Amino acid sequence: MPNVTTSVEDADLRVLGIETSCDETAAAVVAGDRRILAERLLSQLAEHQPYGGIVPEIAARAHLDHLDRLIEEAMAEAGLGFADLHGVAATGGPGLIGGLMVGMTMAKAIAAVHGLPLLAVNHLEGHALSARLTDGTAFPYLLLLVSGGHCQLVIVEAVGRYRRLGTTIDDAIGECFDKAAKMLGLGYPGGPAVERAAADGDAARFALPRPLKGRPGCDFSFSGLKTAVRHTIEALPPGRLSHQDVADLCASFQAAVADSLEDRCGNAIKIFRDRHPEANSLVVAGGVAANGYLRTRLSRLAKASGLDLVAPPQALCTDNAAMIAWAGIERLRAGLTDELDFAAKPRWPLGAAELES
Amino acid sequence: MERGHAEALIPMVTRVMAEAGLRYAQLDRIAVTVGPGAFTGLRIGLAAARGLAIAAGIPVSGVTTLEALAHGADAGLRSGRPVLAVIDAKRADVYAQLFDPGLRPLSQPQSLLPDELPATLADPGRPMLLVGDGASRAAPALIAAGLELEVASESQTPDPAVVAMLAAGRTDADQRSAVPLYLRPPQATRPAHGGRLRP
Repeated sequence: MPNVTTSVEDADLRVLGIETSCDETAAAVVAGDRRILAERLLSQLAEHQPYGGIVPEIAARAHLDHLDRLIEEAMAEAGLGFADLHGVAATGGPGLIGGLMVGMTMAKAIAAVHGLPLLAVNHLEGHALSARLTDGTAFPYLLLLVSGGHCQLVIVEAVGRYRRLGTTIDDAIGECFDKAAKMLGLGYPGGPAVERAAADGDAARFALPRPLKGRPGCDFSFSGLKTAVRHTIEALPPGRLSHQDVADLCASFQAAVADSLEDRCGNAIKIFRDRHPEANSLVVAGGVAANGYLRTRLSRLAKASGLDLVAPPQALCTDNAAMIAWAGIERLRAGLTDELDFAAKPRWPLGAAELES
Repeated sequence: MERGHAEALIPMVTRVMAEAGLRYAQLDRIAVTVGPGAFTGLRIGLAAARGLAIAAGIPVSGVTTLEALAHGADAGLRSGRPVLAVIDAKRADVYAQLFDPGLRPLSQPQSLLPDELPATLADPGRPMLLVGDGASRAAPALIAAGLELEVASESQTPDPAVVAMLAAGRTDADQRSAVPLYLRPPQATRPAHGGRLRP
């Protein structure tokens, strides 16, 4: 195994990051002084759209078709040769195994040729550390990770030290947005479509459940809310849904999600403040963090609790390779490198669970 | 190997390079099997080959598994016979391609049911040599159709040395030639009305 370069100044570290865990093929080069030197991202949205969701085999094929070109373009834009890098980072999980294997294998090949350290990054860790790339947020902080595949509350204490306070006991929040959008005929992905439709809606028109609200703990649940949306649609008068019906239902749905998130985050904030009275950041990351309404609600909650809300810009909230490269830099500094026989993991929880029921 | 390609492959490449006493920069080209075969395995090989190629700044050439099998058959055993390369697709079908005694292709790589083989492949008019891990699945249907054949039990899987030799003879080496040969579209069904409850 190559030695971790210690002679290089931290700011001069250069790491290539590769992300292929879901439906975005991405490569980025990031420097130790938090500069994103280059970034290439290809969304497979159009290829999956007709199926109303991500088809794993289509995703795996597309990753292989484009990844080498995206890496070459990112390296050229960064003005670097592979030999100028100090490490190669790739998402090692969790995610769709076909895509993970493509990205991880290409990363290993590049690392092998140039004798560079390999950094197998947990995708969730990529999201968890992205606020340190964009805002230089200091440890510890409370993280709300909300995406198509995940919904977790985690105390981020240090690189590799994550205390999970709660997670979803059924569906991820983004999945719930996608299902609601699908039932309403708004297309895929659901998040942006629901947010747009909700803008003209009356959030008070439909009484939807606020899952787990008022209950102790920090877990989430969204499958009941999903079912309630279905029942609400079925109870509307027959025929095509009116524009207003769709708008009102989207607004009511978003408000229910926000109320539930706010309640669960409130419990997590109490625990976090107890343990770390000196800390002052609530970080929100993941694709769902791109939702403006939810951001506003969370920002209000953070303020009321004396915390700053840190939300990376949208392009760094959704899946991207810069966060993987950055997590690679953080891991490289901590000496946490991986062997070339690393096995990608479709399931890979971030940190140990605490408090979960 | 059924599983474990993704873990084993790159460490194996580094050991082979060490044994050959070469640096990557001393290679002229990377050769890789493009299929047909198991989709995940093909992608691991191709991702590795393309990664090695961009990192070393050298071209990559694709070789089909079927031609590698045909060329891997012992010349003495072939002795002027046409060669049918057959790979078990691990489903109802097999992947097959027929070559003349000079190993020039007489058919395209195809995904076929064993029973479809006799009608689909032009009868080469003389006894054939069957190679590949699908040979034993293909043989009964061919024999039933009156074709003469022998199964080469030694040539079961493509030999990487043959893959490298075939690629060494190529002049068209570039990244675009190393594209996967799946022969089957991805399995996916479109939901009715895109999943909406009120079409």
